[in-house]
Amino acid sequence: MTPSPISTASAPQQRPRSLDQCRKGETLRITELLSQPAFGAQDEQVTLRLKELGFLPGVSMTVLGYGFLGRDPLAVKIAGTKFALRRSEASKVAVATEDQP
Amino acid sequence: MSVQALRFALVGNPNCGKTSIFNRLTGARAKVANYPGVTVERRTGPVSGTASPAQLIDLPGTYSLHVSSLDEKVARDIILGQMAGEAPPDVLIAVVDATNLRLGLRLVLELKKLGRPMILALNQADAATHRGIKIDTDGLAAAIGVPVVETVAIKRHGLNALCDAMDQITAQQQNTQANVISDADASRQESVESLYQHIEQLTAAYVTAPPDTITWQDKLDRFVMHPVAGLITLFVVLLLIFQAVFAWAAPIMDLIDGSFGALSEWVAATLPDGILKDFLADGLIAGVGGVLVFLPQIIILFFFILLLEDSGYLTRAAFLLDRPMRGVGLSGRSFIPLLSSFACAIPGIMATRTVPDPRERIIAIMVAPLMTCSARLPVYTLIIAAFIPSQKVWGIFNLQGLTLFVLYMAGIVSAALMAWLMRLRRTREEFPLLLELPAYRWPSAYHLLLGLRERTWVFLRRVGTIILALSIVLWALSSFPGPPAGAVGPAIEYSLAGQLGRFMQPIFEPMGFTWQMCIALIPAMAAREVAVSALATVYAVGGDTFEQALGQTLGQSWGLPTALAYLAWFVYAPQCLATIAVVRRETNSRSATAFFTIYLFALAYFFAVATYQIATAVLS
Ligand SMILES: Nc1nc2c(ncn2[C@@H]2O[C@H](COP(=O)(O)OP(=O)(O)OP(=O)(O)O)[C@@H](O)[C@H]2O)c(=O)[nH]1
Ligand SMILES: [Mg+2]
Repeated sequence: MTPSPISTASAPQQRPRSLDQCRKGETLRITELLSQPAFGAQDEQVTLRLKELGFLPGVSMTVLGYGFLGRDPLAVKIAGTKFALRRSEASKVAVATEDQP
Repeated sequence: MSVQALRFALVGNPNCGKTSIFNRLTGARAKVANYPGVTVERRTGPVSGTASPAQLIDLPGTYSLHVSSLDEKVARDIILGQMAGEAPPDVLIAVVDATNLRLGLRLVLELKKLGRPMILALNQADAATHRGIKIDTDGLAAAIGVPVVETVAIKRHGLNALCDAMDQITAQQQNTQANVISDADASRQESVESLYQHIEQLTAAYVTAPPDTITWQDKLDRFVMHPVAGLITLFVVLLLIFQAVFAWAAPIMDLIDGSFGALSEWVAATLPDGILKDFLADGLIAGVGGVLVFLPQIIILFFFILLLEDSGYLTRAAFLLDRPMRGVGLSGRSFIPLLSSFACAIPGIMATRTVPDPRERIIAIMVAPLMTCSARLPVYTLIIAAFIPSQKVWGIFNLQGLTLFVLYMAGIVSAALMAWLMRLRRTREEFPLLLELPAYRWPSAYHLLLGLRERTWVFLRRVGTIILALSIVLWALSSFPGPPAGAVGPAIEYSLAGQLGRFMQPIFEPMGFTWQMCIALIPAMAAREVAVSALATVYAVGGDTFEQALGQTLGQSWGLPTALAYLAWFVYAPQCLATIAVVRRETNSRSATAFFTIYLFALAYFFAVATYQIATAVLS
């Protein structure tokens, strides 16, 4: 069940940090969109929708907060717009901390 | 030769203000609120402000032509002309929320590829200005190649400019005859990445925006979306609404009740004895007045619902409740449809079109009627007032208000249970939440008043048509045939209604219903509120304050277990016929509709019997 990167990233040993592992208040830059088997056949559509909503590599966003059970869902602000995402969607978004490239 | 009116379609992201523009241009009063997914059906109207005739089509919002839910599909099918029996619109009016330009422009660039004539409306220009966003509309128009107008739909600004742009396009169209590119070309898509690159270039060149700072909105969100503080807030807000519905409405209700009582007395005193007097006093005034009394409650309930809808708070509540709702097979996406069902199950069921997961959508449709609709409020209120003492609990809450809250909760808890049971047939596949949280807005007084006027009007129309008609029919059924000469006992026992009630009564025996109660169940299938006037008619009450008199009569003739069982019946009660018709249309399945009807009947029967038996055992 380990999600693997869609793009041909140069063979990562481990899965890059994804949005669902980030803390409240962090500002992050998206590095790539990963696949997530939980969505089954829908996965590509979810990736497309995420991209259409502006979750694209290079864009930065801030984690606003979490829901109350299992820190799910989470809210982010991206390009001035706020979205609520579940952990499964968030795990598709690989991120890097803003200050390090 | 008459000119064929061009058809303009409003297209744009959810919540950008399409319906607000539609209402302004056509004079319609379609529903506007501050959350994505308000409009789920297309709506058409003639435009009044243009020189040439024009038809305007309002569509559900969509983020993309790659749709992910039924409401988005409605929009796409119309835009691409794939709706059976309907030509595609001649011109697209792309509406973009100027405070959310990137997301909106992405759809605009996607639409541009369709090759249809297009106008770009940058709506919510007031909010953009307020945030310090400046847009060079001429530059943008030249770069994209379509006319651009700034609009403020809530204040009517820029709508003349929009009409002018529409007229210009109409003139061009008539000269050049539409050469619309086929949809096959539309599928030749550009990658999302390159579209966004294009957007970055556009915004860099034509838009200046101050850097993102932390605003009061963000601070409010920190509190409202806090896992603990947020949930407490939500609970308190809901509790307050129930308190208000019960407590604030009371004085005005007494006033209305008193006036109808006086009217009925006056009729009784003025008219000679006979059928006309019976009809006016028992049929008409009791039937209509009995329901009209509840207008204040309905207005207060809708006041709060409209306030919540227009503030932007509802999506935050959906965010908080997503996880708990997922535990029973629903999700935050179903929250707003289910909340709308508290007003009426019909718009609630329609709103499930915004739920992307088809199975979740069916479950939401099935449980929506368990949310107490406003038509049940009169029944609850009447019985609570008759059987529950009005005392203070813990110093602040009224026991009657609290009972009402418990009834609402019973519906919610049952809905959760039923959803959980139905979920057992679910596949494992997940669907994303991906919910946009719109900016908070001060609820506009204009929308609030308009909405209340609309709801009042709907209620009055119901009272004036269906409820009036049912009251008259019921009065006739319970007056004819008259009792035989020398009969003892009330006349109604010999009437058609009386016979029918006795015929039904054995079925409802286990829950302690009297035959009068059985009669009232029948017209309640058409409109819940009529249960109240029906009870008034069959118990033949009149007098000065009619509502109180009815309460007293019921208090004397029913035991508490019977009253509680009647309430239980109405919590689950088989839905009104209009709801069943909407379920049939929205599920497009006979078996689903049959299941819906039967399972609700079964639940109502089971819980009414259980309530009656348990209450009888406990009280004796
Ligand atoms: N400040 C401001 N608010 C606006 C303007 N136009 C619309 N609104 C508000 O934006 C919200 C959404 O408006 P709607 O007209 O329902 O939007 P819609 O695009 O039809 O939304 P959906 O039907 O959900 O797709 C409402 O709260 C409106 O009051 C505007 O020009 N300025
Ligand atoms: Mg709308």
